Amino acid sequence: MAKVKQQTEQTFLQDLLDFQGSLNGKSEFLDEVRLKGAEEVRNTPFPTKKLEDWKFISLRDLYRDSYELASNLEVDFPDFSEHFLPESKESRLVFINGSFSAEHSSTKALPEEVVIGNIANLAAEGNEQLKEHLHKHADFEDDVFTSFNSAFLEDGAFIYVPKDVTVEAPVHLLFIQTDADKNYFTTSRTVVVADEDSEITLVEDHIGLGDNKYFNLPVVELNLEDRSFVKHTKIQRDSFEAIHIARTAASVAQHANYESYTITRGAKLSRNEPRIFQMDEEVEFTVDGLVLIDGDQVSDTHSVMDHRFSHAESHQLHKCVINGKAHSVFNGKIYVQKDAQKIDSFQENRNLLLSRKGLVNTKPQLEIFADDVVCTHGATVGQLEEDELFYLKSRGLDEQQARELLIYAFALETIENITVDSVQELLVDEVHRYTERQLDSELTV
Amino acid sequence: MLEIKDLHVCVEEDGTEILKGVNLTINKGEIHAIMGPNGSGKSTLSKAVAGHEAYEVTQGDILFEGESILELEPEERAHLGVFLAFQYPVEVPGVTNKTLLRQAYNTIAREQGREELDPLQFEDYAKDKLDLIDMKEEFLDRSINAGFSGGEKKRNEIFQMAVLNPKLSFLDETDSGLDIDALKTVANGINQIADEDKAVCLVTHYQRILDYVTPDHVHVMIDGKIAKSGDKDLAVKLEEQGYDWLTDVASVSVNGEQ
Amino acid sequence: MSESEALESMVGGEYKYGFTTDVEYEDFPTGINEEIIREISRRKDEPEWVTEFRLEAFEKWKEMEEPDWPNVEYDRPDFDNIQYYSSTKKKDGKKKPESLDDVDPEILETYEKLGIPLEEQKQLQGIAVDAVFDSESIFTTFKEKLAEAGVIFCSISEAIQDHPELVKQYMGSVVPKGDNFYAALNSAVFSDGSFVYVPEDTVCPMELSTYFRINNMQSGQFERTLIICEDNSQVSYLEGCTAPMYQENQLHAAVVELVALEDAEIKYSTIQNWYSGDEEGNGGIFNFVTKRGHCRGDNSKISWTQVETGSAITWKYPSVILQGDNSTGEFYSVAVTNQRQQADTGTKMIHVGKNTKSTIISKGISAGESNNSYRGLVKISPRADGAQNYSVCDSMLIGQTCGAHTFPYIESANPTAKVEHEASTSRVGEEQIFYLQQRGMDEDDAISMIVNGFAKEVLQKLPMEFAVEADKLLGIKLEGSVG
Repeated sequence: MAKVKQQTEQTFLQDLLDFQGSLNGKSEFLDEVRLKGAEEVRNTPFPTKKLEDWKFISLRDLYRDSYELASNLEVDFPDFSEHFLPESKESRLVFINGSFSAEHSSTKALPEEVVIGNIANLAAEGNEQLKEHLHKHADFEDDVFTSFNSAFLEDGAFIYVPKDVTVEAPVHLLFIQTDADKNYFTTSRTVVVADEDSEITLVEDHIGLGDNKYFNLPVVELNLEDRSFVKHTKIQRDSFEAIHIARTAASVAQHANYESYTITRGAKLSRNEPRIFQMDEEVEFTVDGLVLIDGDQVSDTHSVMDHRFSHAESHQLHKCVINGKAHSVFNGKIYVQKDAQKIDSFQENRNLLLSRKGLVNTKPQLEIFADDVVCTHGATVGQLEEDELFYLKSRGLDEQQARELLIYAFALETIENITVDSVQELLVDEVHRYTERQLDSELTV
Repeated sequence: MLEIKDLHVCVEEDGTEILKGVNLTINKGEIHAIMGPNGSGKSTLSKAVAGHEAYEVTQGDILFEGESILELEPEERAHLGVFLAFQYPVEVPGVTNKTLLRQAYNTIAREQGREELDPLQFEDYAKDKLDLIDMKEEFLDRSINAGFSGGEKKRNEIFQMAVLNPKLSFLDETDSGLDIDALKTVANGINQIADEDKAVCLVTHYQRILDYVTPDHVHVMIDGKIAKSGDKDLAVKLEEQGYDWLTDVASVSVNGEQ
Repeated sequence: MSESEALESMVGGEYKYGFTTDVEYEDFPTGINEEIIREISRRKDEPEWVTEFRLEAFEKWKEMEEPDWPNVEYDRPDFDNIQYYSSTKKKDGKKKPESLDDVDPEILETYEKLGIPLEEQKQLQGIAVDAVFDSESIFTTFKEKLAEAGVIFCSISEAIQDHPELVKQYMGSVVPKGDNFYAALNSAVFSDGSFVYVPEDTVCPMELSTYFRINNMQSGQFERTLIICEDNSQVSYLEGCTAPMYQENQLHAAVVELVALEDAEIKYSTIQNWYSGDEEGNGGIFNFVTKRGHCRGDNSKISWTQVETGSAITWKYPSVILQGDNSTGEFYSVAVTNQRQQADTGTKMIHVGKNTKSTIISKGISAGESNNSYRGLVKISPRADGAQNYSVCDSMLIGQTCGAHTFPYIESANPTAKVEHEASTSRVGEEQIFYLQQRGMDEDDAISMIVNGFAKEVLQKLPMEFAVEADKLLGIKLEGSVG
């Protein structure tokens, strides 16, 4: 049995690596990254349930099919301008199936000093900033998915915000995945560098236009220099048949502040791995998340908050609503390394389990090697409070209205700090649609 | 009872000098008040007397009943009868007031050659003292300062002082953050404890507690030194005129030395 | 000797149980194979079904690998170099002592030194004691008095002889032979341990207690304890453990099984003070133990309370399977590690029945260069409607060179269940110490007081006489740990 499985992975891999060679030749720099990535992929086993970090979810759904390289496909797609954010009319980069779409993008609203563009073009131009930062901040040792992303690195977003520059308009990074006849895979890379005293707001937006199967493997690298401030909202609305495996790594320097909100709504199987590395004393970071799943969706968040120096304040509120046969997994690791004193770290995972067939696995985890710290974590699994429902019903709401309102209130806490108004609005709509969907008995079981 | 001679004290961590030559004598039966602006070194002085390890004595001496106590651990000073009511009383979850005080009382009694009390005797003894600060019996069974309001914490300090019956008490800003009723209760407690064999030193910002506890001596501390001493009228003058007139005097005298 | 003095000497003092008892042992080869297992069975005069039980377990064990997931590092024991059976030579060639006169006076003296006198006139009042020395139960006090109430309290070897139907029915029913690597090893070579049976509608009239002593340097200790509470019965049981100081590590791999039937209640307390090795981490006991309770009947309750201060490595998760509807599981733990000790301990609460409840209170204290991990699982199965769990795991660190780790696993598959977990980390603050010093306490007393306050919720769950002593033990364990 195990052998058969291994063969499947091998086939899956071999099929994919066949595409790899075809990408080379356009930029020597990218060729190098890719070759190294491919080499790592060959030498790193794909994870199985035997590994502690993968014990709760199965990747069989990923391994059993074969995939085409997205950029090899000819695709038609409808108008998707409804997904444009009004605040980002001229601060938007659009990628369709992983490839940059100049016609949908505009960066006019950004200050001139800011380097912004797609990786393929910048690499072809030999951009020095790109060379300096690409693949330098994704610190995922022995992670086959990061290597995989590198092996197929074709395009993605690059942003460099120089010293003392504040980017006012939120930058919308829109990743559109189209409907297609064949399964495809796409590996975008996003690199954001905020130099000293700079500030930027990012909206990373993954949208599936159809209900097809594809494998989306984005890697995001962020580097925050001294006193910089990056707000990062990630919205994942991939197709309900898609597989979404993402890596986000942020290095945070002195007095810098990284604030991230990840909203998971789409994909049949999704896995997010935010990792925050403290690079110096006196930093702040937030890694909040909201997961809304139903049907047979599986969502897994494995986060790492690595406190390596003294004086850090970190915050993680991860909320999940689970309905139908959906399965939610959370493993949040808080590390406080030796000599990292005066750390104030808060972590909480709250799960609302609404259905008989849903499943929740949670494992908040503290590993502390310094004594002068305040670290707390908590996890709860429960359903809507009967007395709250009763209270609302006594005020005249029917059962469904009352449930909707409570789910909505539960979810809202994680999104109310997002500062881009239209993003907040669209998420509020998303929460509404999710709760309304719960009327559908097939989804809720 | 207490004699402080030319005391210089630094913060151990960064070497900043806070006390720059303090001289002070407190005799038994006396009530002293040390006043002064923020950062003048009032709290440091009380901590140095109690033996806090974050403060290093670089020069001078502290004599208690004629003997230097500089080399003594904080608990050894407590055994001799030195008590400090903390400006910010520390919380110790899970340990009741009763547990702490009985152990503390008996340790000090043992060191001073007095009789120790068994749990029942101690409970009776402690209950009497509760009246001084107008607290209920359950106060004894609450965890030390955990979940106490600011006023309760301050009253708890006075209660502990009453139970341990020290010879010399430094009360570090025990009056701050109290409303008028609590202030009266605390002052009343102090008055009842103080007698001709004991000495009390109030470290305070405001003159207001001195309306209820009458000091024999008032000292003003400025920039790590006692800039002026006097009787209770000095406190009144400070209340009316602030510290500025003294700051000038101090700087003049410093300049004069140069 | 008064009870509290006895108990004080049982847990108190810096490690003062490090002495060895000079006794003569029967010859027994080291190593493990089928023949050895048959020989253990033969020497213990066991019926065929027990030999079979052992051999089946051995077959499973051979196929298993030592788990590597605990957060502990150690050199794997050399299983060929362990003596799996250790029996002192008996007078007149008797198999087991019939009265105290048959017990080696050296061993009697050992227990006396440990504060557990076995002679009738000195016995602890109100507590029945089973004294286990290396692999054998030496003597059980108050047997007759307990028998009057219908309670069976004896060594498991005796129970196999005298109550085979009970042992056959329950042994291995909570911790199956092949449950895990060390449980399988224990099932193959188990030596002795305690057996308790409380019949229906009976409240056991006294505290039961087993005192485990490892003496033989080469032998491992593989005791097996089985406690059965029939419908509507109750028992409170306590175990204590000490061992001599050797430079080498000794393996202690026990299995404890508890069965609570309808409306029954079992309270199991442990004060574990095995030798923990020296400052450099040499020697000490490897404490790899499988403890599990099964709330089989409705409204039953199993409560584990543990104070873990000893052992070089502690690796155990006293668990409760909450099968009966409305059953309750509790786990109260204080684990202290100092010097180079490593502890990976916690619990599993498996909710199967409806309206089952569990509570977990874990207090970990790390000092020196030690590492202290809480690992727990709360699992709510799909049909456990209305199940509730509440967990609190607090860690306290003393000093800059130790580590505290929290690994709580929660799995819920029932929407009507409610699970709450919270954890925090705190420290013994300098200001706290100064405050207590100012009130007259020396530094060690101050730390002891702060730590005891931290662990209070758990210490309160111990039988009263033991709580006082556990208090002292914590203080002693941490003496001098703040520089």
